[in-house]
Amino acid sequence: MSDLLVVIDAANQGRFEKLTLHRMPGALPFAGRYRLIDFALSNVRNAGIINVAIFPFGNYRSLQDHIGSGKRWNLDRRRDGLFLLPPKNMMLPSDDMLTLQRMHEHIEYFKRSAQSYVLLTPANIVWNIDLNWALQQHIESGADISEIMQDKIRLQTYIIERQALLELILNYDMIPYKTLNDVFLKKNTIKTKAIKYHGYAKRINDPATYIRANLDMLDLSIRRKVFREKYPVYSKEKTAPPARYIGEPLLKNSLVSSGSMIQGNIENSIIGRDCVIKKGATIKNSVVMSNCVIEAGASITHAILDKAVIVKKNTQIEGNLHAPFVTQKEQILTDQSDIRILFAASEAHPYIKTGGLADVIGGLSKALSNKGVDISVIVPMYKPIKEKYHESYQYITSRTVVFDNDEHKIRLYAITRRKVRYYFIENFEYFERDNIYGYKDDCKRFAFFSLAITVFLDALRPFDLIHMHDWHVGLLPAIMKHYMARPPKTLLTIHNIDYQGKCDSNVLTALNMPKNKQTNINFLESGILNATKLSTVSATYRNELKYDYYGKNLTEPLQKRERDFHGVLNGLPKHFTPANDQVILSKYDKNDYFGKTENKLFLQKKMQLEMGLSKFVIGMVSRITEQKGFPLIIDMLPQVLKHHADIQFVLLGTGDKKLIEKLKAIETEYPTQVKLNLGYDATEPGYIYAGADLFLMPSRVEPCGLAQMIALKYGAIPLVRKTGGLADTITDFDPITKEGNGFTFFTYNKDTLLGRFLDAYHVFKHEKDDWHKLIKSAMKSDFSLETQAQKMLEIYLTTL
Amino acid sequence: MKTDVLAMLLVGGRGSRLHPITKNTAKPAVTFGGKYKLIDFVLSNLSNAGITTVGIITQYEPHALMKYIEHGASWDLDIADGGVQFLTPYTSADGDHWQKGTAHAIRQHLHFVEQHDPDYVLILSGDHVYKMDYKPLIKAHADSGCDMTIAAFKPHDDLSRYGILMTDKDRVIGFEEKPARPKSELASMGIYVFNRNVLDKILAASLSEDFDFGKDIIPKALNEDYLLNSYTFDGYFRDVGTIESLYQANMDLIRNPEYLKLSDYKTLPLYTKSTAFPPHHIEKRQTINDSLISDGCLIQGHVKNSVLSPNVTVGFEADIEDSIIFANVTIGDRCRLKNVIVLENTVIMKGMEIVYDKVHVIDNETLWALGDKHE
Repeated sequence: MSDLLVVIDAANQGRFEKLTLHRMPGALPFAGRYRLIDFALSNVRNAGIINVAIFPFGNYRSLQDHIGSGKRWNLDRRRDGLFLLPPKNMMLPSDDMLTLQRMHEHIEYFKRSAQSYVLLTPANIVWNIDLNWALQQHIESGADISEIMQDKIRLQTYIIERQALLELILNYDMIPYKTLNDVFLKKNTIKTKAIKYHGYAKRINDPATYIRANLDMLDLSIRRKVFREKYPVYSKEKTAPPARYIGEPLLKNSLVSSGSMIQGNIENSIIGRDCVIKKGATIKNSVVMSNCVIEAGASITHAILDKAVIVKKNTQIEGNLHAPFVTQKEQILTDQSDIRILFAASEAHPYIKTGGLADVIGGLSKALSNKGVDISVIVPMYKPIKEKYHESYQYITSRTVVFDNDEHKIRLYAITRRKVRYYFIENFEYFERDNIYGYKDDCKRFAFFSLAITVFLDALRPFDLIHMHDWHVGLLPAIMKHYMARPPKTLLTIHNIDYQGKCDSNVLTALNMPKNKQTNINFLESGILNATKLSTVSATYRNELKYDYYGKNLTEPLQKRERDFHGVLNGLPKHFTPANDQVILSKYDKNDYFGKTENKLFLQKKMQLEMGLSKFVIGMVSRITEQKGFPLIIDMLPQVLKHHADIQFVLLGTGDKKLIEKLKAIETEYPTQVKLNLGYDATEPGYIYAGADLFLMPSRVEPCGLAQMIALKYGAIPLVRKTGGLADTITDFDPITKEGNGFTFFTYNKDTLLGRFLDAYHVFKHEKDDWHKLIKSAMKSDFSLETQAQKMLEIYLTTL
Repeated sequence: MKTDVLAMLLVGGRGSRLHPITKNTAKPAVTFGGKYKLIDFVLSNLSNAGITTVGIITQYEPHALMKYIEHGASWDLDIADGGVQFLTPYTSADGDHWQKGTAHAIRQHLHFVEQHDPDYVLILSGDHVYKMDYKPLIKAHADSGCDMTIAAFKPHDDLSRYGILMTDKDRVIGFEEKPARPKSELASMGIYVFNRNVLDKILAASLSEDFDFGKDIIPKALNEDYLLNSYTFDGYFRDVGTIESLYQANMDLIRNPEYLKLSDYKTLPLYTKSTAFPPHHIEKRQTINDSLISDGCLIQGHVKNSVLSPNVTVGFEADIEDSIIFANVTIGDRCRLKNVIVLENTVIMKGMEIVYDKVHVIDNETLWALGDKHE
């Protein structure tokens, strides 16, 4: 019997989009008949280990259903056995790794167990490893803690003596480590060992690694390393007859599970249990989970179809290997080759722009149109549009609407630009003003805009879905429900929860709608409650909004709509690239970024800083607000500037006066190291991105963030707080594997930021090779509009 | 603990007409439909009917079967009160208790019946192919007020193979074992429900050493004016006693999937013990025609109108047609097989052609013999 007890970390959420809406990553089906956790549990059984604790997070029903009493893995025992140890504190957000604090919640388990060693391993690794061999390696090395590595990949699998772990757990609130990973990285105080594992191992973190590892199983030489004759992989017993082939389907290199009925053609794919693939269907390079039905003429390429998805006749589904098309469980996909979408927003590039929203509308509409979607955009006809474009747009129609007890004339105009149809609604009273926002009656103006959209809908060819952006059009679903017999489906994207459109409920009276007893109305809340589906601008932000800290007054309605709520990261438009930036001194790209050094000197010269490549230049391009983390920066800066004369700080931005005063004080104290450019000119910050070594973005809240993506493209290494879109784009640099594209920290305080900042400074000064690796992987990072468009399309298809 | 219905399952059959398939296993352990064993049918039927106290009476080559059934967990029959129990021949103060005949075997284990004190005893065989709900059978028996009920069906083939029941409505008035000229088309399925006290009495009175239900007990019961009821089952039922009938019943799964409805496991699921193999892999570009293929297979050649058990390898350009391949068989590159049943663990060397017009059984031994003939 083994002297190991195994802790399976099933708390890691990964970035699985819709795949983990209903289950934890460990419960994800794999290779047709398995679930990811089967690999960890089978390694346990094959090593004769009898004491296992699983730490789940979130909805672990399907995991519990799958493992049952653990009998399949010899874990239904009188002594020891299988323990499922759920979180006690549901409000603690789950970290990337099981924390010592989570383990402390179940300290009794660790105290009572008799085994001398503990192995902690994630539930989402596909591998077949002899755990006793790993233990032997650990013991022989004499290390305090070991981690299993495959080549340069860290497998987050640690071995430590139970007594030593107990010590750490008992002191979790006194020590500076949160996880065993933190402990492992503290090399100076303890002895660590990397156990080299030479078999196959893949950590499954997102749809791309998921589909790749699945398709790896089609390679016989790899599969034989995972499914070994002497060390089988065990799974829950299921009742399905052998797969049945009917007629003459053509197959190539595919795994087909029991219970399936195959009449259609399959290539390089994994078919789960009890699927029906009808004659004339084609599946390529895809993972089809159990109980799916693929009808005749459907064609599926690079897709992950979750359980019980039905793909109707002649439907085409296409993703790519980096961003596979992902469906939701039990979704019905129909032929949408002529899907028609209307974007409703308050601004749209290139016609009218005050901020990032206009860029998203402009960029996303174009990217969707490139995917063959018939797309239109509707915005108010503001004065600047009228002045600049009055010769290009054409008149469509006009209507009279009653609003606020008055009749109002509205006219509709349109321009088609690169296959995207832009509609403008003209009304003298509400839209023809000098500014776009900032009026007392903004709520009324945009309520009127939504009413006008509703009125014009019957003049236009019907739309399958109206994609609304932010609070301005938040009332649209409610208005359409009130005025239309069959209102179209809607998707509301929340770009910024801080702007909600709160005003007196008289707006409803103006709209001739009942207002019940409410005295106030919140546009965004109305949109959240009435839209068919919701989305926001990153997956992490979507999860954060469940907590009051982020979701504020809208936490409750958002929680209520959780199952219809998606997170899709904004894409970065192609024009942000140092290869084609007119304002930087020397153009460069990811293959040859020597030009970056010239730009650094150019930046120093331009900002009148001492020139020198050994200086560590911190760049920032940001609104100066509390939300962007300036209180931390103001606390940290003097400390680092004082001790390190070679640190330079450059900031471009404007904003909160008090914060600016404090920054100015620092500039006065360290005039040779700090240069503030407070005339915010957002269009041309290229020289800072191109010249900076480190790009600082310690935001307290950041729904998506674009600056960090630009910084990546320009090879300025982001140091960010792990929140919202920052968490979804920046992977923390790992000093062991040298992987990552930036530096991250989680706890929002000065000391944590300072610690990570000094780590970055150290790598820049003393680990030049590592710094170059960072620049390379930063510049290679790709968050494209195409991916955003594809993910949007996936949501559209779940909505229709 | 009192039980309503106790099942006694006879799995001792040699299945000599299935030789050489039954060379090393009892007939209930014979592979069927790729991933099943014949005994899965009766165990699943019991599990689906909620009859969870089962005595399994073994004698001939029991080990494979015992290892396969274990505690009955795969059929949800591993429960604290009752569950499956193997009843083997034993020695006691009154001598060795070898089982001679089906009814004699039950008599050897009347102690087991006594332990559970059931109202009814359901007597079953472990080697039939059928999905049947036993609940209506038990109810019909209880409602009839009879001493014993015989489940019967209408065979599609030669009636003279069966025990034929003559009935008046549902009441059995006559019985003939394998008659040359059958007087009815209703045949016994070898499934009986007894009132427990009747079973005790009728078996105790049978003093000879070798007696069967069909041959001895039913005629005796009729003679002694016990009340015999019949229950007609109109589903698919096959006593796959011969190689030809085993082959045809397998082929029915491809040609007439509606007979057994294996894919319908909401109502009467057919359970089997899971293997730990990954799904099967069709490796080379290939059409697969009208076949059943189980987990763990690696298919590099062409398969047509065949049933493959788990972990079968079909080599490059091999051609399998109208055949049944049992588990862990390796078929070499460019082999050609037609109309064969290939037994477990057989290795067929590259390039062999084994083509018959009528079904033949192949295993390593017959391959040796074939090889000798060629030399």
